[in-house]
Amino acid sequence: METFNNFLGGTAALFGDPMGVLIFFGGVIGGMLFGAIPGVSMLTLAAILLPFTAHLSAEHGIMLFSVIYCTGVYGGAITAILFNIPGAPENAPTAFDGYPMTLQGKAGKAVGAAVMCSAIGGVVSCIIMMIATAPIADWAISAFGPPEIFALVFFGLAVAASVGAKTFWKGWLSIMIGLMIAVVGLDPVGGIERYNFDMPYLAAGIHFIPTILGFFAVSEIFVQAEKKATGSYTAPKLSVDFPTFKELWAHKIAVVRSIIIGFFCGILPGIGATLAAFMGYNEAARWSKDRMEFGKGKLEGVISSETANNAATGAAMIPLLALGLPGGALTAMMVGVFQMHDMEPGPLVFINSPDLVWVVFAAMFFANVSILLVGFLEAKTIVNLLRIPFQFLAPMILLLATVGAYAVRGLTIDVVVMFVAGVAGFFLRRSGYSVAGIVLGLILGKIGEQTFAQAMQMLHFEFTGFFNRPIALGLLIAGALTILGSIYGAFFKKQPVPASDN
Amino acid sequence: MNFKKYFVKSSVAVAVVAAATFSAGAALAECASDALPGEMAKPDGYPARALTMVVPYGPAGGSGQVAQAMAKAVSDLTGVSINRDHKPGGSGTVGMTAYMATPADGYTVLEHIDDAASAHALDSGRPNPSEALIPLVTSQITFSQIYIRTDEDRYTDWASFVDWVKAQDGKATIANVSKEGSMERVTMKFITDATGMQIQQISFDKGAPRYGALAGGQVDALFEQPGDVRKFLDAGKFKPILTILKEAPEAFADVPSLTDAGLDFEPLLRFRGFYVKAGTPDDRVAWLQWAFQKAFCEDSYQQYNESKFMNLIDSFRDTDGSKELITSTIAQYRDVYKQMGLEIK
Amino acid sequence: MSKLRTGHIVEVAFWLLLVLFFFVYSFEFNQDIEIYKYGAAMWPRAILLLIAIAAIGQLLDQRRNGDRSSSNTMAKAHEDSAQESDNSSLGWYVSTFILLAIPFIYMVLPEKAASLMSVTDIAPGEAGIGRVKIICAAVLFAIYLMFSWRNHVGAILALPIFFAALLEDMGFYALAPVFIVGIMILMGERRINRMAMIMPFLYGLLMLFFVKLLYVGLPTGNVRPFYDFGNWVVTLLQ
Repeated sequence: METFNNFLGGTAALFGDPMGVLIFFGGVIGGMLFGAIPGVSMLTLAAILLPFTAHLSAEHGIMLFSVIYCTGVYGGAITAILFNIPGAPENAPTAFDGYPMTLQGKAGKAVGAAVMCSAIGGVVSCIIMMIATAPIADWAISAFGPPEIFALVFFGLAVAASVGAKTFWKGWLSIMIGLMIAVVGLDPVGGIERYNFDMPYLAAGIHFIPTILGFFAVSEIFVQAEKKATGSYTAPKLSVDFPTFKELWAHKIAVVRSIIIGFFCGILPGIGATLAAFMGYNEAARWSKDRMEFGKGKLEGVISSETANNAATGAAMIPLLALGLPGGALTAMMVGVFQMHDMEPGPLVFINSPDLVWVVFAAMFFANVSILLVGFLEAKTIVNLLRIPFQFLAPMILLLATVGAYAVRGLTIDVVVMFVAGVAGFFLRRSGYSVAGIVLGLILGKIGEQTFAQAMQMLHFEFTGFFNRPIALGLLIAGALTILGSIYGAFFKKQPVPASDN
Repeated sequence: MNFKKYFVKSSVAVAVVAAATFSAGAALAECASDALPGEMAKPDGYPARALTMVVPYGPAGGSGQVAQAMAKAVSDLTGVSINRDHKPGGSGTVGMTAYMATPADGYTVLEHIDDAASAHALDSGRPNPSEALIPLVTSQITFSQIYIRTDEDRYTDWASFVDWVKAQDGKATIANVSKEGSMERVTMKFITDATGMQIQQISFDKGAPRYGALAGGQVDALFEQPGDVRKFLDAGKFKPILTILKEAPEAFADVPSLTDAGLDFEPLLRFRGFYVKAGTPDDRVAWLQWAFQKAFCEDSYQQYNESKFMNLIDSFRDTDGSKELITSTIAQYRDVYKQMGLEIK
Repeated sequence: MSKLRTGHIVEVAFWLLLVLFFFVYSFEFNQDIEIYKYGAAMWPRAILLLIAIAAIGQLLDQRRNGDRSSSNTMAKAHEDSAQESDNSSLGWYVSTFILLAIPFIYMVLPEKAASLMSVTDIAPGEAGIGRVKIICAAVLFAIYLMFSWRNHVGAILALPIFFAALLEDMGFYALAPVFIVGIMILMGERRINRMAMIMPFLYGLLMLFFVKLLYVGLPTGNVRPFYDFGNWVVTLLQ
């Protein structure tokens, strides 16, 4: 009941303030638009807006980012479906079935399903978030130190290595490449430059935003361009034929399953939403009667992935607000918004500014509701982008991505990194490695190394110190078991094994 | 909708609120650059367009905030707008490299901190901020302190802290920054050498997790500057137990200084200032010097400095004063690095 | 029974060579850190070890099972764009490599060339090095055109990186129009009046949205006259 009252209080504060309403709708429309324009994503918008939030109140700034997060995750599905360009890594599995549907002229059905399922997943997840965050934060303040966070990162990476790539070994190698890329720059203990290859700008390290843009947006342009050059390019067919209620109702079990998976995966820091989408998709395929149809344009694939990644948005706020641990790229930027207002995401927020928390929660709830209202309208407009001939769309996407990569840190090296990642992605796509895995390794690598070093310093360089920290120990063991299980599966199963047999 | 206009308005509102909160007054009575003329003719129409301020750190940290406050003060004073261009990374080295590649025409200025001086001390290949650059003003100078939690009962002041740390046989911890040879790490070395205590430093490269570690009980103490943890001090969560200055400033009169604690070393200071590239035409440099030094005394900037505890010791240096400060800082770090056995290039 | 193909051997060799290179390079920064006994190089070396283990594990796996069609349901989706192209001959790889190297040559060439030609005002941003940079860019662009004539896909891959490498010196404002036209041509557009219409439209849209509305500071470039042009555009819009 107290939760409900707090929620009403937050709602009143949100809509009682004209500036707040303006920012709320700006965020809803901005998130959807940037999510849905190929080449830029909600991350681009967030990066552009980050410096401006210094001029907003802390409440408005964080509310704006959480709204962009909810609507942007939905918006990213649209480009994933229409152009095979996921707006963010968590939209990647949406493209597996969404893009084939576009090629078959069923883009409208896929987009419509994405609208419905994003809204449902998001709303349910918001409700759980409101109930669960505060108690978790209370407990986490003293329970989660660097050793626990390192253990959590390890567990997250272990799970991620086991899904997503063609084989376990390729999944593992993909993650490790990401970890290796994260090493470039200054080391997190002594500030010593590593792998700078005598280029002064590399001291800044390699940022994940240009890398994501390169792997997903730029490499897709290259693939299409190659098809054009070799004459095998076919323009996608256009349709605005939305799915009927009956078609969606048929997948109700997939929706519920994805909400549960999405929420629990979403709590993991760094990879929450992405892992949620991959797992949601994977489980849908595993439980389905005709699993061989997945990846060829099955509506259920879009539904399960989109429900799961939006269900993760609420969950991702829990580690952010309770532990100060970002769940992904956008939540990482939210940390920046907090810091710009001299605040620190983490358990203290609940003590120092409970009003802020509830305004943000209310805003996220209504942002998910408004996906339903505005989303359909927007989807009808945005599919028309497909009418633009590719030779005109391509330079626009590449330039938008350039702005997006540059705006993060104001460094031209980031634009170079993005295009190099684009070329690398172009070749890697043929090889069965997982570009999403590389990105995960890159994002978590920095946190992982830093917390490992801190944990070792705190435990006086004795690994046995983990035995005195039961949470860390439990997570480490769970991670190790996940890896061992996958190795066992990789070595001792001869048949092509669908994941269901593990 | 024109974003810039809106944001300017809203930041004025923020400043007004800030003025009300931080009981303005005392510090405004006399100001270092009051003697400068209130206006100065633009040399040959310079600046004809907006200036760009390169900030080699993100918008959130101490540098980002001081850059914003100073840019606003200069714009209010002169009517020339300043776009801030944040280029974070590599402990400020990346922004410096990018800045050194811009033309020396006076349209691009740089914010930087004492790290530029210590970087040059360690590797003379890095630009010397008193030679490759012309300091326009140094507008923040501050000192460090050691903090503990207010509700800590294992020790309550500096003396009991030192005793407790010694009893832990090297297992006590203190949160610090993650850059070898930085002001923070060198100072910690001074302290441990002078007291003979052994304490494990835990390295955090960002501020917020560093403060969180102390608040959450993951570490036993914290090394920081008072302006950065003001919120925790005002909220009564942290308290200083040692001020790393020869003499305690009035605001921290009850916290022991180095002299009180019997520690004998020359304290290192944190300073932030604004620069323009050497080789910029003299008349433009003169105009910039006037604008930035005069802007230091703008009410909005003074209020900002006060809110960051930057009014506790003399925080202002003009061009010559800044050069002196930088040169002596470089010499001091060189000595320290040689003693520490670091390789100086 | 071994199911290995040459491709598998090349793959594992690639990983092991990569590991070796990065391991050797790690001695460059293998410094002690006073408060951390593992130093700066332990973490990357541990990762390199794991990469080596995984690469060998993969080889053993492939020897036993060959290329299994899939080990999980996502495999098919990953192969969506993996259609075999005819662009896989050795010649194609070599010319693509050269094209991709051009931008990186630009990153080091001007300083080297300037010291050879004894240009005195070598300080970055000064007029002398500026001219050298323009000449280098022009020469490299000519080489790019020469190779891109025969290698269409390689040209598409290399142009954006070249654009990015030039950004700091020449600026976004001056390069973007050229880039737009370049990409349109590479994507098969040949109608000149169509391009003449679309290019200013795209450029204007970008400028209005990001520069005029959102005040994003894009790189103006450091070399004259590009620097002046970039600032002229910004002043015009803001």
